[in-house]
Amino acid sequence: MFRPVRIPRLSSPLLSRAPRTSQRRGVAGTTPEQPTNALGTLPTSSSPITSKLHFFNSVTSGEKQIPTYRVLDGAGQPIEGAEVPEIDKALALKMYKHMVQLPILDETLYNLQRQGRISFYITSYGEEAAVIGSGAALAPDDEVLAQYREQGALLFRGFTVDDIMNQCFGTYLDSSGMGKQMPAHYGSKEFHWHTISSPLATQIPQAAGVGYAIKRDPNRRGKNCAVVYFGEGAASEGDFHAGLALASTIPTPTLFIARNNGFAISTPSSEQYYGDGIASRGPGYGVHTIRVDGNDVLAVYAATKEARRRCIEEGRAVLVETMTYRVGHHSTSDDSFAYRPRKEVEDRKRLDNPIMRFRLFLEARGWWSKDEEAALVKGFKEEVGAAYKRAERLPKPPVAEMFSEVYGGEMPWNLREQKEELGRLIRKYGRTWEPWRAELKKHKGEGKEFLD
Amino acid sequence: MLSPRQPTLRLLRTVPRLRHTSRRWASTEPPPAGGHSNVIGTSSLLKSTRDVALRTQGLKWVDLVDSDPSRDMVGRETRKMNMYQAVRDALSIALTKDDTAVIFGEDVAFGGVFRCTMGLAEEFGRERVFNTPLTEQGIAGFGIGYAAMGHTAIAEIQFADYIFPAFDQIVNEAAKYRFRSSGNFNAGKLTIRCPSMAVGHGGHYHSQSPEGYFMGAAGLKIVIPRSPIQAKGLLLSSIRESNPVIFMEPKILYRSAVEQVPIDDYEIPLGKAEVLRRGSDLTVVSWGTPIYSCESALDLLAKPPPSISQHVPESLRSAKVELIDLRTIMPWDVETVVESVQRTGRLVVVHEAGRIGGVGAEIGAEIQKKCFLKLNAPVKLVTGWDTPVPMQYEKFYMPDNIRIMDAIVETLTY
Repeated sequence: MFRPVRIPRLSSPLLSRAPRTSQRRGVAGTTPEQPTNALGTLPTSSSPITSKLHFFNSVTSGEKQIPTYRVLDGAGQPIEGAEVPEIDKALALKMYKHMVQLPILDETLYNLQRQGRISFYITSYGEEAAVIGSGAALAPDDEVLAQYREQGALLFRGFTVDDIMNQCFGTYLDSSGMGKQMPAHYGSKEFHWHTISSPLATQIPQAAGVGYAIKRDPNRRGKNCAVVYFGEGAASEGDFHAGLALASTIPTPTLFIARNNGFAISTPSSEQYYGDGIASRGPGYGVHTIRVDGNDVLAVYAATKEARRRCIEEGRAVLVETMTYRVGHHSTSDDSFAYRPRKEVEDRKRLDNPIMRFRLFLEARGWWSKDEEAALVKGFKEEVGAAYKRAERLPKPPVAEMFSEVYGGEMPWNLREQKEELGRLIRKYGRTWEPWRAELKKHKGEGKEFLD
Repeated sequence: MLSPRQPTLRLLRTVPRLRHTSRRWASTEPPPAGGHSNVIGTSSLLKSTRDVALRTQGLKWVDLVDSDPSRDMVGRETRKMNMYQAVRDALSIALTKDDTAVIFGEDVAFGGVFRCTMGLAEEFGRERVFNTPLTEQGIAGFGIGYAAMGHTAIAEIQFADYIFPAFDQIVNEAAKYRFRSSGNFNAGKLTIRCPSMAVGHGGHYHSQSPEGYFMGAAGLKIVIPRSPIQAKGLLLSSIRESNPVIFMEPKILYRSAVEQVPIDDYEIPLGKAEVLRRGSDLTVVSWGTPIYSCESALDLLAKPPPSISQHVPESLRSAKVELIDLRTIMPWDVETVVESVQRTGRLVVVHEAGRIGGVGAEIGAEIQKKCFLKLNAPVKLVTGWDTPVPMQYEKFYMPDNIRIMDAIVETLTY
């Protein structure tokens, strides 16, 4: 029985100068032993006075890194001492199906982008367990503020493949935002999924505010939490620090979920931080923290479920760091083999595949079979194929939609004038200037709201 | 003038904060006798009697005492307030009438470094009026999240000079929250208050007027009051507005601008300028503190002291100058300004911020477009220079009464 191993990163000669995170230098010594209180404490804190001149640089004693919580080994068997979280067959299969579906959806949309049929896409390859495991542990009406690589959790809530396609193609049925944002920027009021935006980490302090609103709402207090997803790269933004400081000093039921997949585009995590990942920062803010194996869906599920319980019962923030690996390219605009060896990626896919690990667990319980697998994959491929063909044929929203929802209430004069100005130009050139004529045909109504 | 030891200055942030040693005591020092500026203290634009206050143009009562409008003059009371008291009064009404409303920022719980939140934490509880850690991007982000849940968020940035760490949250997030989700979500219930403009000795980072930087952020509204009555009515409108608003309070007016303020709940509409003086020869548009310098410049023009009378031709002393307080910077009241310039043919815009990329440039371009055939002189901008606000040179930096008067003379004689 094999156990997944941590593949040392940075084997590329390009990156050989970069320090390795796995070897934290012992420059600063270990966590100091607690002195007796013989010398008293500081007047404004409970810090005991010590006579030892002693620096430290680790949140754990003996300079050990924070451990990673795991339930299943690489063969889908519970590891020694692990307690398998309570999970019934229906939920387990729902989670598994979404994990299998995600790369199929990703592959289709990735290829559609390669063919130039959509402009952009972001896959979740390798992070299926981190996303689905955490998403499954939430209540369906917990408020989620995501980064952009968590569409699996949104699908888990009931967002449909058609919703995904309409957003990526920017059709007039795009429920996320009427074609106003780039692909993969989903949002849904119905599924309590705050619309994604590109600026990294901005959602983190916002989540603290959402958590505060939940705390002040008698109908939601003790029932829901705010959940915020972000990558380990985004955690370097100032907004991460702001978000944790706010959620801890103004106690709110806010659940921070870091997806540490080893890379922020080309930047390995060793160039992102020198400390012990993201988890080590939680205690600095007085936040309950756990690190979990992000390729073990049951570990992620169990950790998130417990984190959520603490969030809601104590009304305080909790941080979960899921350790995983970004198997896919950063986005369709990125070729990751420019900064990491293909073999490293292939090894990771082979040795530590989150979907395979969970499948072995399900098969050992007799909950899943090869035939069911084949039927699931075939059925979903057909569903995705049909959905993209539908979306591809749909027109974009009416051009005049461009001016809507900038402001609530009355449209200000400058926008009214500009909308009229565009109308004048479309009436003048819309039928004769080929670039506009061709583009107008793609929009619902073909610009007739201006032409008439 | 504020004491030189005024601890509200952010410079003192570098001093370690120890419990039990207050760096705040000096902010409760009484204002100097006669207010901070004689120009403001004696302004005729401030309403010193109840009757005048109740007749404030555009004022809309929120709680009608009677369907008969004349009843308002009988049943309404006013109280003498300076601007920080009027802001506090508005905040108190907002908290009373809207259970979701919360106020937060740096040092707001003890009353705020400018006293705008005095007693609110005691009255409404620390759950609704609370301090945040010292993080402007966090304050703005927290407010956006709270507002996105449909609750009323009233955030304070201690000085407008320190709003820039929150620029990303305000411009990329708050302003675009509604548009990017095509109305599924919005941050419309967010209001960000911040003291702005010069104070006599604020240097680079306690003097700025950053309204121009936010003007191009589609989705935001920007409001600047000039007086206690305006501050209360415009702030209540901003808090209840369905779009995110940046509300900039000219800090030199906090104590120096005093007038009779109606004690009931009322609003003053956003997007509407106020014509303070009617005129037919030239239009002056300004907002915030420089409104009072404009008023003073008009006095200089009419009755120049002998020392400068040689620079003011006799024929101009009876010129009728129209003075407009823009009040809302975005969306600004183009209709009122255009109508005025169509009549007068001349426009002077006055603001404290530097000229390049400032609000005056935007107004000038629009008026040039809409009033081209009626303009008898170039649109003139009287602004701060394109330098940071300089400490020891402030007198020569500010668009003060003599610079404004000169611009009026130059424009009238063009």
